[in-house]
Amino acid sequence: MNIKLTSLFKKDWFGLLIVVLISIFIIATIKPTFLSPFNLYVLMVSTSYMLIIALAQMIIIAIGQMNLSVGAIGGLVAISFSGLMEVYQISVPMAVLMGLLIGVGCGFLNGYITVKSGISAFIITLATLYIFKGINLGVTEAEPFYNIPETVKNFGNAKVGNTPIPFLIVIPIVITFLMWIFMNRTETGRHMLAYGNSIQSAELLGISSSKVVISAHVISGLLAAIAGMLVVCRLQLGTPNIGDSWLLPSFAAPVIGGAILAGGKVDVIATALGVLIVAIISQALVIFKIDPFFVQIFLGLMILLAVFVNRYREYKQEVSRKIFNIE
Amino acid sequence: MNELCLEINSANKSFPGVKALDQANFKLKKGSIHALLGENGAGKSTLIKIITGVHKQDSGLLLINGKEKILNTPNDATKFGISVVHQERNLIRRFSVGENLMLNNLPKTALGLIDYDKIAIQSKKWLEIMDLDIDPNTTVSELTVAKMQLCEIAKALSLKAEILLLDEPTSSLSPQESENLFSLLRKIVRDEGVSIVFVSHKLEEVFNICDEVTVLRDGKNACTSESINNLDRKKLVKLMIGREEQIVKSDRKSDDNKDAILTLTNIKTELGHKDIQLELNRAEIIGLYGLVGAGRTELVKCLIGLEKITAGSVKINGKDVTIDSPKTALEKFKIGYISEDRKKEGLILIHNVLDNTSITIWSQIKRAIGLVTDKMIADKINPYISELEVKTPSIYQLISNLSGGNQQKISVAKWLAAGTDILIIDEPTVGIDIKTKAYLHKLIIELADKGTSIILISSDMPEMISLSDKIIVMKDFQIAGIVENDHSYDSVSAEIMEYIHK
Repeated sequence: MNIKLTSLFKKDWFGLLIVVLISIFIIATIKPTFLSPFNLYVLMVSTSYMLIIALAQMIIIAIGQMNLSVGAIGGLVAISFSGLMEVYQISVPMAVLMGLLIGVGCGFLNGYITVKSGISAFIITLATLYIFKGINLGVTEAEPFYNIPETVKNFGNAKVGNTPIPFLIVIPIVITFLMWIFMNRTETGRHMLAYGNSIQSAELLGISSSKVVISAHVISGLLAAIAGMLVVCRLQLGTPNIGDSWLLPSFAAPVIGGAILAGGKVDVIATALGVLIVAIISQALVIFKIDPFFVQIFLGLMILLAVFVNRYREYKQEVSRKIFNIE
Repeated sequence: MNELCLEINSANKSFPGVKALDQANFKLKKGSIHALLGENGAGKSTLIKIITGVHKQDSGLLLINGKEKILNTPNDATKFGISVVHQERNLIRRFSVGENLMLNNLPKTALGLIDYDKIAIQSKKWLEIMDLDIDPNTTVSELTVAKMQLCEIAKALSLKAEILLLDEPTSSLSPQESENLFSLLRKIVRDEGVSIVFVSHKLEEVFNICDEVTVLRDGKNACTSESINNLDRKKLVKLMIGREEQIVKSDRKSDDNKDAILTLTNIKTELGHKDIQLELNRAEIIGLYGLVGAGRTELVKCLIGLEKITAGSVKINGKDVTIDSPKTALEKFKIGYISEDRKKEGLILIHNVLDNTSITIWSQIKRAIGLVTDKMIADKINPYISELEVKTPSIYQLISNLSGGNQQKISVAKWLAAGTDILIIDEPTVGIDIKTKAYLHKLIIELADKGTSIILISSDMPEMISLSDKIIVMKDFQIAGIVENDHSYDSVSAEIMEYIHK
């Protein structure tokens, strides 16, 4: 396959990549400290777990649903992970495994109830959000777990060799790669997108709705669990409010990446770049000493800009199809 | 060659309140094209759903290649070699053609990942059978409707279908595209050993392509596997509706005092229309005819302000006007548009009759503070509902519970209530049975007789010729020619085809 420049322009991620490069260039020209090792480290740390949270939401957007409980799952896993280690002295690998299982379990519950009830995932996950969060608060009584094992803390602080690259970002990068393969190269991933495009068509093709929906929610829960544990590594403690602020950013990155909330169209690389753009903008505002209270305004403007650009591109394609595709 | 590949013996099926099938029989010979006909509500779709495993018959047998089978799900039907090409396009629009074709059985690499190169190679084979010269990597949404349809058939073949069920396959195809489809169908019957069940409202097509005909009426067989050679149009219609077809004879003559209500001069649009000239007189019906993709619907959408007109002048009652939105079109210039896609664009299916009919008049009847009561609306719309003989238990019935014909009547009632001077009607009778069709034709003529000017878009040539006063033939977003219609089918249709194939 020969890749032409025009076909690159059709990809969602290509435009975003250019935006990322240009913004890095502009910011670095004005403030060279932007590229300082410390600054890059901070940038990558904040990107790391957001990347996974965005992917956890993206896979649910792919099937045309929403998962309001990503943060609640992440929070529940975070306190379970740290609590198991602190209170029950369970080994780190065992605690990680338990954390993952809890995430999978929560995701399965979301998917299973959605499929069996036929009620929209928005409502089901709204309910489970409260349930998961409620368990979290009931168990912790809003008290954080401070005694995190040194191995976990060290992992949270570690850098790759002598570079400013935090170890924390390695796992998200691997996961992004795996997710790309999953969405583009595996049957289950393609079936999810087909289902998101048209439930009716997918069912007529013999694609099992329940399998698609449940697997998407299970993966979403698994990713939320990983994100929750990464945040524990980074904060060096397990607080009950982990995950509280994830929900809206989890939609922001996929949407900036061109995802359509009705389903069937998501792009893993574009979503990752969406996370990066949000991180760069927030970081730049700090460097330019802009009041952090204004950060959200920029984030909002970013989302608007992204959807307008996408809408315009679709419109262009629509018009060109109308004109040129006449027999 | 006379063995039966599909047989249904005395099938019964009841739904709450209706007996949909009553001892229905169906016998499909191997290697034949078999028409399944019947008016809306005759039990046709129920029979199709039984064949495709969506419903199960209450009693009666279903045999495939002489053996009794039980189909519990559509998947079972696919497994036994039965594939349906539905009226609704069922391809995944954002996927490539190749991936759509192979989606049930995606080829994989040694690692278990999808092998896109293999998809392209394997799907090419099926595309070639359908004479489709397209790159398997093309995204489906870039194809024309006709090509999508052929892809769907290719897909069915790729599933090793031996029995192919085509449900209204030509409803959105032009005559030329339909002809192409038919020759391909004949080819796959001959070369691939496929048998076809063909469901259509267009009797011309049935005579063109089918070997045998089964007609259902009120859930019973009006005829079973009758050879097409023993039938003619008249007999067939009689079998379907139980009486002879009433052809609407239009004895309208063009009005002498020509009173131009709408004049388009040298119109260009952002969609690519060029040099469009059109004159619509009061109480006149002009038809826009052309192949799918000729730009007819697009033209009227520009006219009502949904898309932009970039050059030329639009005159209403002799005055230059600019129509910037459908709201202006309706409220200021009294132009109404009945969409061809009544489910998507015309009606709000989950609302009731009252809300749908009154949508166009809210702004006319609202009180000072903008409130509208049900009573005010009901008073306004009831005359139209009864005039059009809409069959609905009450005006509070949901639109989605009405039949297609009644839904279409609501579309019309909506614009009548708005008191439009110019009514644009796009493909009014697609998917509507003969009885309702004749009724709608009568209605359109009556509307014109009462003074409404009508622009009719239709791909149904007999409909066009029986209704229009003047037929404008469009091709490639331009006007190819204008035919004065004297309602004599042979000469007018010949003239139209000449313009199209010029």
